[in-house]
Amino acid sequence: MSKEDLPRKEANVLRGHEGAVLAARFNRNGEYCLSCGKDRTIRLWNPHRGLHIKTYKSHGREVRDVHVTPDNSKLCSCGGDRQVFYWDVATGRVIRKFRGHDSEVNAVKFNEYSSVVVSAGYDRSVRAWDCRSHSTEPIQIIDTFSDSVMSVCLTNTEIIAGSVDGTVRTFDIRIGREISDNLGQPVNCISLSNDANCILASCLDSTLRLLDRSSGELLQEYKGHTCKSFKMDCCLTNTDAYVTGGSEDGFIYFWDLVDASVISSFRAHVSVVTSVSYHPKENCMITASVDGTIRVWAS
Amino acid sequence: MDSDEEDFVFYGTPIEREEEVTSRKKKAVAEASGQLRTLPPWKQEVTDEEGRRRFHGAFSGGFSAGYYNTVGSKEGWTPQSFTSSRKNRAEIKRQSIYGFLDEDEKVELEDRSVGMSMQFDTFGFTAAELARKQADKEQQNRPSAIPGPVPDELVVPTTESIGVKLLLKMGWRHGRSIKDSNSDALYDTRREARKAFLALSSGNAPPQLGEGSTESSHDLPTDDDDQFSKSKPAYVLNPKQDMYGLGYDPFKNAPEFREKKRLRKSGNRGMDLHRPLSIKGKVAPGFGIGALEDLDAEDEDIYALGFDFEETHVHEIEEPSRPHVENILMLEGREHGVLPGFKAASKSDSISERFDPPEIPKGFVPQHKFPAPLEIGSKSADAPPPEVPPPENNNLKVLIEGVATLVARCGKLFEDLSRDKHRSNPLFAFLHGGDGCDFYARKLWEECQKRGNQTKLWEGKMFQNSHKMSAESRGKVLGEKALQKSTEDSSSMIASADAVNLQFNLSDTFIKPASFHEVLEIAKPFSDDPAKQKRFEQFLKEKYRGGLRSKDSGGASGMSEAARARERLEFEAAAMAIEKEKLDKESKATSQLLKDLTASAGLQFTTSGVGKAKVQQDEELIPKTMYPKREEFQWRPSPILCKRFDLTDPYMGKPPPAPRVRSKMDSLIFMPDSIKATNVEESAVTEGISSSAPKVHGKENGQEKTEQEVEEVEVEVVNVERPVDLYKAIFSDEEDDEEEIITEPNKIENPQKKIEAANTALNRLMAGDFLESLGKELGLAVPPDMPPSENKAVLKPAQNETFDANKANDENKRSVTQNAVSGILASQKIEEDRPSDLKMSEAEISEVDTHGNNSRITDDRSVGKVATEDRDENIPKHHKFSRSSSEEERNRRRSRSHRHKDSSSDSDTSDVSDDYHDRYNSSSKRKKNGSSREKSRSRKHSKHHKHKSRDSSTRSRRSSEKEREVTKRKKHEYKD
Repeated sequence: MSKEDLPRKEANVLRGHEGAVLAARFNRNGEYCLSCGKDRTIRLWNPHRGLHIKTYKSHGREVRDVHVTPDNSKLCSCGGDRQVFYWDVATGRVIRKFRGHDSEVNAVKFNEYSSVVVSAGYDRSVRAWDCRSHSTEPIQIIDTFSDSVMSVCLTNTEIIAGSVDGTVRTFDIRIGREISDNLGQPVNCISLSNDANCILASCLDSTLRLLDRSSGELLQEYKGHTCKSFKMDCCLTNTDAYVTGGSEDGFIYFWDLVDASVISSFRAHVSVVTSVSYHPKENCMITASVDGTIRVWAS
Repeated sequence: MDSDEEDFVFYGTPIEREEEVTSRKKKAVAEASGQLRTLPPWKQEVTDEEGRRRFHGAFSGGFSAGYYNTVGSKEGWTPQSFTSSRKNRAEIKRQSIYGFLDEDEKVELEDRSVGMSMQFDTFGFTAAELARKQADKEQQNRPSAIPGPVPDELVVPTTESIGVKLLLKMGWRHGRSIKDSNSDALYDTRREARKAFLALSSGNAPPQLGEGSTESSHDLPTDDDDQFSKSKPAYVLNPKQDMYGLGYDPFKNAPEFREKKRLRKSGNRGMDLHRPLSIKGKVAPGFGIGALEDLDAEDEDIYALGFDFEETHVHEIEEPSRPHVENILMLEGREHGVLPGFKAASKSDSISERFDPPEIPKGFVPQHKFPAPLEIGSKSADAPPPEVPPPENNNLKVLIEGVATLVARCGKLFEDLSRDKHRSNPLFAFLHGGDGCDFYARKLWEECQKRGNQTKLWEGKMFQNSHKMSAESRGKVLGEKALQKSTEDSSSMIASADAVNLQFNLSDTFIKPASFHEVLEIAKPFSDDPAKQKRFEQFLKEKYRGGLRSKDSGGASGMSEAARARERLEFEAAAMAIEKEKLDKESKATSQLLKDLTASAGLQFTTSGVGKAKVQQDEELIPKTMYPKREEFQWRPSPILCKRFDLTDPYMGKPPPAPRVRSKMDSLIFMPDSIKATNVEESAVTEGISSSAPKVHGKENGQEKTEQEVEEVEVEVVNVERPVDLYKAIFSDEEDDEEEIITEPNKIENPQKKIEAANTALNRLMAGDFLESLGKELGLAVPPDMPPSENKAVLKPAQNETFDANKANDENKRSVTQNAVSGILASQKIEEDRPSDLKMSEAEISEVDTHGNNSRITDDRSVGKVATEDRDENIPKHHKFSRSSSEEERNRRRSRSHRHKDSSSDSDTSDVSDDYHDRYNSSSKRKKNGSSREKSRSRKHSKHHKHKSRDSSTRSRRSSEKEREVTKRKKHEYKD
């Protein structure tokens, strides 16, 4: 992928959310996307055709994060109502609500087999919920964080979570170790590289940091954008060649992965870009913003 | 009947009694439907065909009754069988009146039950009870939102507000006004005057208590009467004064006699009844109160209280002016010494023994005299020394001022003392005529003036209105020093000078300010910024004083919170450096460092604008050097999580993790971890393990390949926490095997080792703890005369970085092979070196130790020695995962190792604080750290090997490393 192929052209605008959109996520194959926002709804879209497919309403407060299983059959979402919702995509019904977080839930993810939902909360804990059994108790509570956990990522064997206490912690289930990488700055969002060797951590000092997961080494820092108070996403492109992330001024930035130079930056939204999600295969990206729109970008 | 009826003509239909008909009909219907049959026999009624109850007639019984026309019980008339109450007396039911009462009677009775009347219900129990009952009633009347009796039980209605309760507990009673009974200004002043009179003015003679008490007996009752009549409702005591039976009223039918009787009684009352009571209001002469004792408010109140009841009673019945009359009467009676109507006995039967008050020595002056203030007073009469401009040096000025204040306060003695003390101290030259001497004299004079004025002032005050006794004046009487609120404003640095003065004021009562002066003389790290230096001194003072932390001195008030915090940290660092400097006299490097520190940091706070930018820069600098830092902990995933992730539980079959326990030693001894660790190793070496070392290397030659492997594994062992070792070793052989096969199938297991490991793990744990504690103790005696660079290198747990360790692995590998090649010769050389070189560095020791470990491995195989059995057996079990991964990692790392090298020194420093921080964490973390420390040691070890085998080639490298360590040490000192 060359520089020119970066998705800089606005392909579609998905309107429908009332108020800020807090997260927008592609599904596994990039065909659909999910968004959630302050209007307490989760919406399913076809971003490529700009279609709104379905709305999921049940949350009592804002929805902060949403994730869909690889087979597109189940959703999980979380938000200000301290619960993790487990949805059936087709019927739009809530299958289960996982209560247990003492405070708002910031992020939620399915594991590879869609059997566990892992949520990260403001209550400084990461909790794992079992989707297979009927128990609504968490099957694992990780409470080694000393501040709000903002973001969580899962690999096949690990739970990785970033917290405002400045740490990115990797919990390796296979060997039962916790590896804590202290970045010294509140971590806003983490995302895994596609080869799963690196973690991109967005810190509140307006810096994205790329960490080598095996060594904990800081590989690169990406600066230029503003990220001081909002929970904002960042991610790598599908080829891991570029790093992308939003800014509080409504811009989207692209950095070169290796030399950390800003390849491109343009105004995408009128307000804070809360979420970016890159298409798993194509040069396509969706961004969500506080201005209530989700924009689809293509090259 | 029939014939009668025929004679009458009936119009209309006769009115039947409705209920009769309906009930009858209902019954008939019910019977028809067979309802009644279902009733038990004794409830069935016999009815005639129309549904009426059948009447039996006089002899065969009335209406048919239950139980087949018997009494209404199953037993009928059969008497209960006799039961003896001899054996089961307790079971005999007590008859109570309630058993025989109807409901309404019970209610009546309940109302009459004896309870505390509201009047005496001090704590409100009865009122609460009543309220509860009331609420119950109401509850029954209205439907409750929450069904069931629960809320009523839970929510008990309160009768009184908590304020009322509190007041009650404090002695307030209903009906009284809420007001301090003694708050009357008049009363206060009078009391004050009396006290002053007692304490001060009648210094030479024992106080005339008779006078005082008479006075009070005159005054107090009237006061109190006023009070009570104001707020208190009629509270009548009706003491029983007759000899009739309780409740008997002899005048029931003749009320006119009652009137008469009362008149008669009240006529006598003042004379006889009140005597004994009113005496209570007085203080016994000669006892209970001394010349210097206060007449306590409580005392008086107690007496007054007893008095009040009586008085009010009198008040109620008689005219308001009565008490005075009464008192006068009483006094008269007292003067005669006998009750009216009685004569004084010529000889009394019982003579109570009385003790005279203690004899007061002739020369006794009841007022303390304090030499210091007087001295000052005399001094103040001296001619004032000439006004002198303060010295340029601000520190000196403040110091002089402080000392002057102190001297003025404490007298000449203090000056002499401090002069002796600081004879050699150039800062205190002004005490013996050096620099600033004039200024000091002037200052001292000013202070004395001030004090003199003050003392005069209060003395005058005392004589003028001696009754006024505040805390201040009392403090003065007792010789306490009052805090000075304002000093002169001639100085330019008012605020800070003030603060210093205040500090002195506070401190001079507690500790001698010696230690801080010592610090002061050295500590001039911020001399280029006087304000900051001032703050720093302030900080130091506070630091070495302890006590309350003052908010901040005037100069720093403009700073932001963050800046202040930052400065604080800086000060801490500087103070630490200064202390260090004092400790070891070779302080050049440190002072240089301090200079650097101030040079870099000092600029930050000069102007806010520049400072801001600086701070930001600084912030950017810090994380670069510190972060990211990596830590590793044990974490236990729940089995079900593992299951859901489709992974095998790494802790499968293990008992639940032991709670993180800290050993006692951890919390008691705070020492650099590295010292501990090295000492452990040292002691381990001295335990005679080394004896097996030479053998090892012999073996090593042959077993080069395996040795290498073992060595490598050994490096990794350290990751593992001990408790896990133990559990693994003891409980889970099979699982380990399995895991091993899964993760590292190509690795050959050594089965007999496991049993040994199981045995030794326990031993090792115990021994390890012991050694650790031993090491800690030895750590106190670490020889200080080691070459500094070496020493530091060992003291540093700095090389703990994981990738560092990995690098170490690489080198380790290499070095081991080299070592193996060089063979016995090299290793023996080491052994020879060891005993001879007393000042051997710790690194060497640890090196030997690792050798010892190696040797033990081989030893176990060949000799099978139990005592020196090795911990390394466990290694393969735990490290299969990390091993395979680290292997590839290593490969990767080699390719880009140049980058690591650059960053290693940086990360080292971060690790220092990391380690430091960790000590306060749980033990598991600590242990982990310890293990990584071992790693670093082994790395050192490998380097050492290189050093031994091909000395020349590594020489340059080594020196560079030394340099790095020196810089590290510098940084370390910062942080401490």
